[in-house]
Formats: sequence, structure tokens, C-alpha cells
Amino acid sequence: MSANKATNLKQDRRQWLKASAAVLGASLLPGQARSSEVAEPKTAALAPQGKLGETKSATRFLTRAEYELIEELSETIIPADSHSGGAKASKVADYIEQVLHASVDDNQRSDWRQGLRLVDLMSQHYNGKLFVDSSFEERIAVLTVLSDNDHMTDLTEVRFFRDLKYLTIQGYYTSKIGIHDELEYKGNVALMEFVGCEDPVPGSK
Amino acid sequence: MADSGIDLNKTYDAIVVGSGAAGGMAAHVLTTHGLKVLMLEAGKKLPIEQELRSMEWPYDNAHRGKLPPDRHALTFNEYTIRKPPYGPGFEKSKHLHSYVGNNDYVKNIVVDERENPYTGTNYAWVRARCLGGKTNIWGRLSLRFSDYEFKAKSRDGYGEDWPISYSDLAPYYDKVDLYLGITGVKENLPYLPDSIFQRPTKLSCSEVLLKQGVQKMGRVVTQYRAGVTTDGLKHNKYRSRCYGRGACDRHGGCDIHAAFDSPTGLIYPAMDTGNLTLRTNAVVREVTVDSDTGKASGVHFVDAQTMKDYNVRARVVVIAASTLESARLLLLSKSRLYPNGLANSSLHVGHNFSEHVLGCHIVGQVKDLVGKPSTLDDGRPGGFYLPRFRNLSEKHPKFIRGYGFEGGGGQGMFPGYAMDLKGFGSSFKEEVRNNRGAYIDMGAFGEMLSRYENYVDLDPVVKDKWGIPVLRFHVEFGDNDRHMVEDMQASGQEMFEAAGFKIVDLRTKSLTPGWSIHEIGTVRMGNDPKTSVLNQFEQSHDVKNLFVVDGSAFVNAGCQNPTWTIMALCWRSCDYLADELGKGNL
Repeated sequence: MSANKATNLKQDRRQWLKASAAVLGASLLPGQARSSEVAEPKTAALAPQGKLGETKSATRFLTRAEYELIEELSETIIPADSHSGGAKASKVADYIEQVLHASVDDNQRSDWRQGLRLVDLMSQHYNGKLFVDSSFEERIAVLTVLSDNDHMTDLTEVRFFRDLKYLTIQGYYTSKIGIHDELEYKGNVALMEFVGCEDPVPGSK
Repeated sequence: MADSGIDLNKTYDAIVVGSGAAGGMAAHVLTTHGLKVLMLEAGKKLPIEQELRSMEWPYDNAHRGKLPPDRHALTFNEYTIRKPPYGPGFEKSKHLHSYVGNNDYVKNIVVDERENPYTGTNYAWVRARCLGGKTNIWGRLSLRFSDYEFKAKSRDGYGEDWPISYSDLAPYYDKVDLYLGITGVKENLPYLPDSIFQRPTKLSCSEVLLKQGVQKMGRVVTQYRAGVTTDGLKHNKYRSRCYGRGACDRHGGCDIHAAFDSPTGLIYPAMDTGNLTLRTNAVVREVTVDSDTGKASGVHFVDAQTMKDYNVRARVVVIAASTLESARLLLLSKSRLYPNGLANSSLHVGHNFSEHVLGCHIVGQVKDLVGKPSTLDDGRPGGFYLPRFRNLSEKHPKFIRGYGFEGGGGQGMFPGYAMDLKGFGSSFKEEVRNNRGAYIDMGAFGEMLSRYENYVDLDPVVKDKWGIPVLRFHVEFGDNDRHMVEDMQASGQEMFEAAGFKIVDLRTKSLTPGWSIHEIGTVRMGNDPKTSVLNQFEQSHDVKNLFVVDGSAFVNAGCQNPTWTIMALCWRSCDYLADELGKGNL
């Protein structure tokens, strides 16, 4: 994939949906009503490492495999760098699992179930392997397609990506790592005097 | 402090309906005059510090501070595409709240919309039925009105003048300042009189740049004038001085009570006089009248939990239930003597509704602050205020009256702008970090013209949880409001550009009526009993022992936030009330 040219998601998805129609059934083809996309995962062939159905004791909505996929997806969105830890270290996946478990929004829950599978289909299509088995660059390539096309909210995988990004931001920047290490937030301390601005454009004096 | 035992066989000197800014002030002033006062609050007394948790870190909160998932708070989109009542369609949520109820800290303070429905035109009605009402979570911006508002008709010919001028109210503003505490900086503006300020907050760097930018245009940016005691109040043991800590900008109050709230600022001190009896869970459904004298004799209330009905008597009834609830209560109080509702011979009760139009919100990025080290800009009760500049000495060709902006800039706890940044990955993370102190935003509050045709009445069918008829709204923005909104957007951009900011977002849709939570004017004052409900002391023209002392008494909305004026007016009216009662005139 060229890094310079945005991929047209709607063109590409025909191919990767077609290729997978046999395993997934017709329910994910474009034009289907949203509600018909609500389906419990039943395709072990597509489950990462075949661990589907095996639920980690800490998770109540996600399977172990889904949880691990979210860990990698969120870390791709906010990675660790030389400045601070990333989404994985701040346990964003735990936060997302908690939100989805408690969600009363069936559309949201279904978008996540479908979205996690669609991301792996995309990963198979673009990189020939599951997302968690992909390299750093390969993971970025898949999410770049979704990010470049994030206005196509009629597509489940786009809605999934947007909510993934939203909840990753929400989870990360409300974590200890996000607040203290990453943004170095200095507030919520008792002050004898308000601080204010010494020099509106630092270094200009 | 528990309810201190209502005596149903007693005739109180005064019943005060409501415990917000107005009710609290009425209780304070009347008990200070030695009157025996019964305060009735429709909601309960909450363990408020446990609700607000101002200093809680998000990661110590089960929902990271957000609303628990079994509750829903209405959004702008939902207010726009749906019609009231807003309950239907949200059956999956255990509780439904107004837009303000969108976090874990206010969820028990704002009402459940399904228990408290209303009908009619789209309206975002924010209600807090609990001791202290909306003062538990108010925005705290505390501004004085001037004769530009009180004598607005004399200036531009529209509407009515107030039956008072600034000189009548100034001593009472002073009393409110000193009793409750207010922070700010003197600016000597005739259209925004100064208060007696305590220690001011300080502007952040982007705010200083805005101040410098608009100075060239002859406009002012001043520190947020907040109803917050920054130096402390020696006479009040329930409130701490502000020590710059906590998440002051998330919707929610101040659990050290440096920010004014009615319970710690007014009600508890009033209870300490021994003259105040408080009854919570008392939903007042009617003001009763003596059919011989035509005077108010007391109220009927329903216990919010047991649904039992009570009647209690008083020599004077003081209504302070909030602008819309006070109008509703008068309309509900129909009798043979008062077939249109109490104090409504003018047919103006519910009419002349006004508030503030929120027609512009603008976000700017300060290029010079991108990539700079973290700064401590938080822990202030507010950022800045940019006072009105239209229709002061010059006349705008397209609209009358004015608007001001409130806003803030600098680093907060949560980078809300991250949601709008494109992309993901390490460059995204870096961009969020680099911009942590670079954003500034402001929103305009403009005077919606008071018009007789904007009104509320009782819905003939729909009732609330207690079987009481609900309000029906007939409220829409008009042409003057729309022209003002256009100008807000143009001037907002112009000022951000003058300050050198890159404009990253500009909301051009006006928010739903009601959004300002500055509703006023349904029981307005005036000298003419034919076109007004109350006299200059917020006393009913028709029923002399009935007073309505909240925002409903306002003649126009100005563009200033109303709470400080509500309390100054209420203090003045209650001084008069006590005096008249003492003379046997009520």
C-alpha cells in the first residue's frame, strides 16, 4: 500500500468481504440493515488463535481473544513512546471491556463484535495475517485505511474505529499514565496563590 | 442537618417555596429579621460532598467520571430532533437527565426527566430538585446589571423599563458581595458595574493574549467574576476559601463550598438563628387563599416520597421555586377568586419569557503555545469574561441589546480537543501532548428579547409523577435574537483573529432554548398592574402578602448571568416584606 495515497475503503471492502463471505455468511455484505448485523460470533476460523469462547475471568463482555485484539488496537492508536507509556500500559482494554459490558446500547455492542472481526478480515486482506500477528507497520496500515475513511459512518468497521478511538482517548487520558506521565498535568493541588501567566509567549522576552 | 420538624398546626410568619439562590436568600433575610420561616423544598437533602467529589481523580472513579451507563443525558441532537416530553425512546436507560446531567458528579442533583415531563416547543429545561437546587452546580459567573438593562426601554424604546434603577439595587449588591464573597477585578465599566471583590484569579497565557488582542478594538477581557470566596468569610463556618484545587470546570460544584451554594451560604446560617424550619420532599402544588380576604393563607404540598398531601399556613407566602416553576405554581393556584391563577389579573403570568441565546462557541489554537511545557492553568473557578460591546454608544443596524462572552484557555485535566484531531499513533499522541496548553474557547450569551408571545402555560393533559399538571412551552427565538447570533459569530472570529489565534472550531447553530439555564421573566415586575404581576418589591399587585423573589420577576434578561441580581433583588424585597409585616400592612 502506498503511504501517500488514501485507500478507498468502499472499493476494497468488496474484495475482502467477498473473500470471507463463505466463512462469515452474507450478513456483513453492504446494504444489509444494521440490525441484521447483530450476530454472536460463531466462526472459530476467524477467531484469533482459535481462543474464541474462552473467557478471561476478568472480562465479561469480551472473549480473551477479543480482549487481546483490543489491547493491540488501542496500543496502535496511543502507543508507548520515549515520553510515556501507551494504551496497553494504562489498561485501556480493561476500561473498554467495562464500558461495553455495562453498555445498554445494542448498536454499540454489535458494532464492536462485528468491528473486531472486520478488522481481522482487513488485516488478512492487506497483510495476509491476523491483526495481533502483524508487525507494527502492518497494523498501522490497516488502521490508516479506517482513519482515512472515517467519514464513512455507514460502514460498521468505520463506526467501530471511531468508537475505538473515542474510548481509547477516554480511557488513556483519564488514566494515571495519561494524566501524570503523558500530559504532566499539574492541577488538583492546593495553591496559596493562583498561578497565572508570567509571559504569554514563553521565550519571546 | 436534618429537617427540623414542621408544625402543621402553626401559622408561620412566612413560607418560602424553594431552596435555591432566591429561597436561600429569602430565608436568610427573613430569619435575620426575626421572622419564623418554613422553607419547603421539593427534593431531598443530598450528601452533597459525596456527590460532588471535586478533587477526585478520574482513574479513582468507577466510570472515569462519566455518567453510569444505565443513565442517559439528553444531547443537543436529541433536543433538536425530538419534541418534549423527552422520556419516550429512552426506555433502556434507568434514568433520563437533561444535558447537564452527563457526568457521575451531578447525576443525583438534576431531576429525572420522566418524573418531571413538560410539553410544547423544544426546550432544554435544567432542573435540580434537591436542597440548594441549581446553586449546587452553577457556573458561578456573578455579574451586576446596570441601568443599561434596568432602563433599556428608555434607551432603545423596546419592552418595559424595570420599576427600579441601579441606585436602588446597588446597596443590596454590596450586601450580597460581602455576605457571600465574589472574586474579580475592577474595570469601571458603566454597563457592568464592579462588585466588592475579593482576591482575583489570574489569566492564563492564551487569555492574556486575547485581552491584548481585543484591547486594540476597545474591548475588555477581565478575570471571571465568580461567586466564590477567595479570601474566606469570617462570618460563615460552613464555607472554606478557595484554594485553587479541584476540577472546577467539570460540570459540578465545589465540595469545599468556596463557590457559593445556597445551603452552606444561606440556609445553614439561617437555621442557626433558630428561626428556620426546613421541610424537604415537599412538592408544593398550590398556594391557598382565604376567600374572605383574598390573601394567601398557606400552601398545599405533596410529600415526594409518601405522596401524602399536607396543608400548612403562613402570614406571607414567598415563592422562589425558579422562574418556570414559580409561574407554574401561580397558574396551578386557581380558585373562585382567582380563576386565571393566583396574582394573574394581568394575564401576564407565564408570559414575557426571556433568557440568553447561546449562538456562538468558538475554539482557537494559540500557535505560540504549541509544544510548550505543561502549565498549571486549572483550579480556578473560571477563566475570563468579555463584556458586552454592542449598542452601548453606537447603534447596531440589525439588532438591539447585547451579548458577552465567557471562556477559558490553558491546560485542563482532560484534552477534550483530542477527539477532534485526525489520525492515530505516535504522531497523534505527540500532537495531543503538544497542544495541551494551546487551546482557548469562548461562548456568547446574548439577551433574548422578552416578548409576550413567548410564554408557558399548563398542559391540559400531561401530569408529573405527583399528578400535578406540567408546563407547556411556547418559546422560540425571534428575529432580533437571530441577527444578534450572526453578529456573535462574526465578532467572535474577528476577536480571535485579532489575538492571532487559529480558529479550529466555530459552532454556528444556536443551542436549544433553555440551554443557558438563565430563564427569567414569567412573573415580571412593573409599575402598571395591567402589564406586570409584581411591584418593585416583587410583591404581587393583586395579593399583597404574596411575593415571588426569583428570576421570574426580571423585566429583561440583559446579557449578564442572573444569580447575583436574583439575590440582590430578593434581599431588597425581603427587607421590605419584613418591614411591611411589622407595620401590619400585609
